[in-house]
Amino acid sequence: MSQQTGTSTNEQTGTCAQRRIGVYLCHCGGNISGHVDVAKVAEALADEPDVVISQTKLFACSDGTQQEMVTDIQDNKLDGLVVASCSPKLHQVTFQGVSKRADLNPYSYTQVNVREQCSWAHTNDREGATQKAIGLIRAGVAKTRLSTPLEPLVVKTLPKTMVVGGGVAGMRAAVGLADIGLGVVIVERASQLGGWVGELGPMYPSERSGRERIDYLIGEVAKRPSITVLTDAELVSKSGSFGNYVTEVRVKGRDEMIRLVKAEVGTIVVATGFDTYQPEVGEFGYGIEGVVTLPEFTKLPDNSGGSAGASSSKGPLTYKGKPVRTIAYVYCVGNRQPEGGNEYCSKFCCAATVHASLKIARRDSTLRQYHLHRDIRTYGKFELMYSESRERGSVYLKFPDDTPPSVTKMADGRLAVTVVDTQTGNEELTLPADLVVLVTGMVPRKNQDLTSVLKLPVGADGFYNEIHPKLRPVETVVAGVMIAGACQSPKTLSESVASGLAAVTQSAGILLKGFAELDPLMATVDTAACTGCNDCLPSCPYDAITTMRSDGRDVVEISAAVCKGCGGCVPVCTENAIDLLGYTDAQMRASIDSLSKEPVS
Amino acid sequence: MDNERKPKTDYDVLVIGSGIGGMESSIKLADMGHKVLLVEKEASVGGRMILLSKVFPTLDCASCISGPKMSSTINHPNITTKNYSEVLGIERDVGGLFHAKVKESSTFVDWAACTGCAKCETACTVAVPDQFNYDLVARRAAYLAFPQAVPKKAVIQRAGTSPCIDTCPAGIKAHGYVSLIRSGKYEEAFQLILDATPLVGTLGRACYAPCESECSRGDLEAAIPIRRLKRFVAYRHYEQVEGPGIERPASNGKSVAIVGSGPAGLTAAWQLARLGYQVRILEAEAQPGGFLRHALPTYRLPQEVVEQDIANVTALGVEIITSTSVHDLEALKAQGYDAVLLATGTPLATSLGVPGEESDGVLTGLDYLRKVSLGQAPDLTGKRVVIVGGGNVAMDTARTARRRGALEVKVAYRRGREEMPAHVAEVDDAEKEGVAFEFLVAPVAVVSTGSKVTGLRCQKMVLGQPDPSGRRRPEPVAGSEFVIGCNAVISAIGMAPDHAPYERLTRVVKGNRIVVDPTTLQTEVPYLFAAGDVTTGPSDITRAVGAGRRAAHAIDSFVQGRALGSFPALDDLLPVVDKKEVLARQTSYTEREPVVAGTTFSPAPCDFGELEPAMTETEARAGAGGCLDCGVCSECQECVKACPADAISFDKRDKTTELTVGAVVVSTGYKLFAADLKPEYGYGTYANVITGTQMDRLLAPTRPFNTILRPGDGKVPDRIAYVSCTGSRDKTSGNPLCSKVCCMYSVKQNQLIMGSLPLADVTMHYMDMRAAGKRYNEFYEQSKDMGATYIKGRVAKITEKDNGDLILRYEDIENGGQIVEAEYDLVVLAVGIQPNRDVEKLFTGEKLGLDEYFYVAEPDGDLDPGRTDIPGVFVAGTSAGAKDIVDTILHAGAAVAQVAAHLEHSKNNQLTETPTMTEALV
Repeated sequence: MSQQTGTSTNEQTGTCAQRRIGVYLCHCGGNISGHVDVAKVAEALADEPDVVISQTKLFACSDGTQQEMVTDIQDNKLDGLVVASCSPKLHQVTFQGVSKRADLNPYSYTQVNVREQCSWAHTNDREGATQKAIGLIRAGVAKTRLSTPLEPLVVKTLPKTMVVGGGVAGMRAAVGLADIGLGVVIVERASQLGGWVGELGPMYPSERSGRERIDYLIGEVAKRPSITVLTDAELVSKSGSFGNYVTEVRVKGRDEMIRLVKAEVGTIVVATGFDTYQPEVGEFGYGIEGVVTLPEFTKLPDNSGGSAGASSSKGPLTYKGKPVRTIAYVYCVGNRQPEGGNEYCSKFCCAATVHASLKIARRDSTLRQYHLHRDIRTYGKFELMYSESRERGSVYLKFPDDTPPSVTKMADGRLAVTVVDTQTGNEELTLPADLVVLVTGMVPRKNQDLTSVLKLPVGADGFYNEIHPKLRPVETVVAGVMIAGACQSPKTLSESVASGLAAVTQSAGILLKGFAELDPLMATVDTAACTGCNDCLPSCPYDAITTMRSDGRDVVEISAAVCKGCGGCVPVCTENAIDLLGYTDAQMRASIDSLSKEPVS
Repeated sequence: MDNERKPKTDYDVLVIGSGIGGMESSIKLADMGHKVLLVEKEASVGGRMILLSKVFPTLDCASCISGPKMSSTINHPNITTKNYSEVLGIERDVGGLFHAKVKESSTFVDWAACTGCAKCETACTVAVPDQFNYDLVARRAAYLAFPQAVPKKAVIQRAGTSPCIDTCPAGIKAHGYVSLIRSGKYEEAFQLILDATPLVGTLGRACYAPCESECSRGDLEAAIPIRRLKRFVAYRHYEQVEGPGIERPASNGKSVAIVGSGPAGLTAAWQLARLGYQVRILEAEAQPGGFLRHALPTYRLPQEVVEQDIANVTALGVEIITSTSVHDLEALKAQGYDAVLLATGTPLATSLGVPGEESDGVLTGLDYLRKVSLGQAPDLTGKRVVIVGGGNVAMDTARTARRRGALEVKVAYRRGREEMPAHVAEVDDAEKEGVAFEFLVAPVAVVSTGSKVTGLRCQKMVLGQPDPSGRRRPEPVAGSEFVIGCNAVISAIGMAPDHAPYERLTRVVKGNRIVVDPTTLQTEVPYLFAAGDVTTGPSDITRAVGAGRRAAHAIDSFVQGRALGSFPALDDLLPVVDKKEVLARQTSYTEREPVVAGTTFSPAPCDFGELEPAMTETEARAGAGGCLDCGVCSECQECVKACPADAISFDKRDKTTELTVGAVVVSTGYKLFAADLKPEYGYGTYANVITGTQMDRLLAPTRPFNTILRPGDGKVPDRIAYVSCTGSRDKTSGNPLCSKVCCMYSVKQNQLIMGSLPLADVTMHYMDMRAAGKRYNEFYEQSKDMGATYIKGRVAKITEKDNGDLILRYEDIENGGQIVEAEYDLVVLAVGIQPNRDVEKLFTGEKLGLDEYFYVAEPDGDLDPGRTDIPGVFVAGTSAGAKDIVDTILHAGAAVAQVAAHLEHSKNNQLTETPTMTEALV
């Protein structure tokens, strides 16, 4: 049985009807209780007016505790719920769910953040943190006390998805979407579908040619009438709201005519891929004949060559007609650079390079290959290629992080690679080579226009950011806009495809129902108080405010579907005619008053 | 829509395994509107992620992000979760639907009633390694998986019936009371035995303890002294409490007459009285107890112990009318009883059937023992006595005769020592008390001078072919007769029931036994039941007790008008546990000194005092402490008593259901590399070598010790080393693959340790730092900046110092390649991921394709991740290869898209209509 501390009195609530509020303070398994005296906080809150239950919980978010809250709400006929735990970003939805299951209006729930904003911020001041927690929760109770039941906005959703980018991730996503009954529009900037993979020969680990895989996918796309492909096309605008986006795509026709195509879609999957790192001239000898990047190397006509495939290439390797007897690979060019470069790891390049060198080794066992690396990151099953590569004679040398190799041209026209080998006592070695391959990774594609049209968040590494890098890797903070493939971070072919399909799944979860529920936390206008000054109009970034006639007066109205609840218009109104549901002025004032109450001794 | 064409499925999709991959698959499919059945083998959903401390590279608390996902899973209206369940087999039909057999293992807890209060866990007396803390600490046999379990429901872990319980003919929960004694709950132990029989003190002495013969510990040093533990709790109880210590129940208005007050009659009376019956026992002798009092010598079973046990029965209002022989059972019934139980045993001794048997100085063992108990026995001082027979009565008689002053006691038996029906210990003990044996002899005649016995003429025997009992039949040797000189002959060759009261009422078989239904013990006369030796011929006390219980159960059913059926306490036990499995699962087994009775025998015994010494409390605790918990749950019933919701029932059994589904997602996850397969690292031998998963537990918010300490001595470590690639990238351990997650979880732990123990030095010995993934390399750099040391090169060997510190031997590759020996307080082995080969058993009729390393194969992993080689079967997460959490989420997302496409295709084998698009030319 839950233990109840404190009963409510109604002395200080003034005009408010008496409320029955439950307050739960989470230990967060020590994250909070390690720095806040939770028992004291619970005791203080028990004395708050209208608080019927004040308890602490080891993990408020655990299912067992959720069940207890549901029971408490029902048994005690609670009409307000406050959970003081972590950030609302983490668990607002969780506890709104608890409210719903207990038949309590989810907007009578308030999440108070006493972890990120209290215990973690004041790890050296237990007493202070405890007082602050009391204040924060009192403010939450004050807000809850003035809460009113709200109903979510139900909007119909369009069973169609726009896929931006016609590379392997985008095409596979399009096929996946079509196969579960959703319409698709592919918007591809180039004149044909395919992306990077279409330029590649045999790929690891399947040894199937990238070109063949892309041709296959293009065929699958063509087979599905529910997919519309727009090439030479760019997304240039997006309006509307979640589940009902109205987009405009600028399409260059065969006649060079520019058309603007309007497409209404429910969700958008961004699969715009990557660019490859382009070394500066002089960077590791780039510019000298015989120094090539990894993409250049894999596309060498003498090598496996475009769509030809390794099997068709036979005999010793040549470069520009000259036989190649020794290749040196310099890894991490443009990646894992502490300053001035890209700090991130491009993930795919170790395996790609090992694979490329292996293909040649299988062809010509007398070839000498040196791999100058920092770590060989052939994770998972790719390790097998690394093992085979060494067994076939490739030599791997690890150079120190702070002493990269250098590449020069020798008098005889051959290349010389100088490297400090940590594994032979940091000896400086100079290796003659006929070909030097700079293992260059992926860099974010420059897509400023698209980024601003979709308001996509960009991370420190320049790639698009997901909502949560662990559990929600394809969703973004823009509801209904997903990211897939290498635009999110460097990926292999199968990883890109997997994320493309994960975006399909995410879209389908939103669209297959046919409707979506939106938070009703939007701005409302008190028409009687509105003077029609229109000062609020420019404050809305979503064009949700329009003018109208009411009782012969000019006033504004706010579209519920378009309003995002940002609150930008509220302070602009000189007449206080605009209020934000769920965050009313009265609630905010009451919260601030509570925060400034006397501390508990 | 044509209903005929609609596939008939119970669920759209079956998802196997509720780790992060299984949960993601289930939630996403359910969000699309598909009906999902999620089957999880553990009591909680969540897999391994919920057991982590934090996750890389965000350092989010694993509980905080995994917990809500677990909650969403089981609360989703489109997901049905079967926890503690297992998919036994899946078969695909020609229409492409799957028929799955799902076994829901019994939790022995009614989850609808369970509130997760964990009172059962607190009450439980059995500790087993806690798999959710990777065996760092123990959990109870009654347990909640972990504090954040979803659903938060208890499970009683039962591997089967413990051999000691399984073998007990009385159905006494030996494991249970041993476990209670181990926990110091002596009165509870007494009450548990009392639940079966009032004869606690008696059985603590006179039972032949088949439980001890079956005890798994007997295969190691010696069996647990189960019988003497019973005597110990009986002694403790009777010393402190008068009577049984339970209330007399309210009367149910029914009455039963029981004829005979031996162990069967007393036990039946006890059981019926506890149900509220008015019970009257009619006893022919002047004192109750039957053979317990009149046949068992007091050096084995003191009279006052029998009296204490009988007082339990009378305390519940049972009347025992002594000196009353019943000759007419119909007349007895006519007195108004609702049923009659006949439990008269085998009071008649079998005669020798040889000339001279009528002489003075010839008597039967039963008669002799009875007279001794009544103080009327003939004086044997200075006499030579021959006992004929090889059973327990013969042994009791012989040893009693020694105590009554017989100069020489010789047991004459017609078979050999091996064939003797007497308990081996009894024979040995008799020998120790100076009893002599003459084997392979049969009496021919009693030799007497006048009426005085002077000897027993015997004939030598040889053993021929086995008889129906399996023993070799003795055959006389012609011309081998000889005389054993003696003053007295006591025959103890057999006993039989007295069939006079029932021979006219119902059928009687050979040996005058009454015929009963073996399950209900009901005779052909409905109101008449019979239990014990009267139905079986001579057996032993424990069987009589079991029969008494069974009869009481049947009589209650009969009187209450219920159908007579099996007796659950004896008939419906779980299958007995395989002792080999018990011994194999002992992870912390240590050799123990057996607790032995240390009885001293006199070659010329003269008193009737109890021979076997009592156990001290220390001995009892030590003796009970050796229990290996064969069945895991000991059936001690403490949880049943503790549960406020009355949710626990041991009668529940596994349930297997057959279901039809449209698609299957395999998300059975991975197995961890067993670190003891790398003996050079000493895991399992060196206390302070732990695995990475164990370290994650030490760092988790719900961690077992609330700090990081080394298991060997509890010291907070100052120098901590990580050994990466333990069981990965290692052909010698059969796994050449990289496990992908170990580098990163080690780096994560490095950071958490540095946060937790700011003064500790953290060093990681790595091969290649595989920080490949979004923000992983940055995370690794951050760890270096925080002060962790990273040394390239595989560790060759670990040795342990006397103080528990560890020496790592490795080649310092980056600094000239010299061999270095570095000392650490704690070593963490970054163990890798191995395929979970349970998937191989999932499908019947066809094989799920695996890759050469036994992961589920994806024939086109590039374009169709998550699709297997069986149409309609998909794979999500690490079942298909090593993955971290985010890769598992993406892979599950891909699998779901494929499942949805498969279901869409099955539903309507056509592509949907072309969607419309509005165009405007500018």
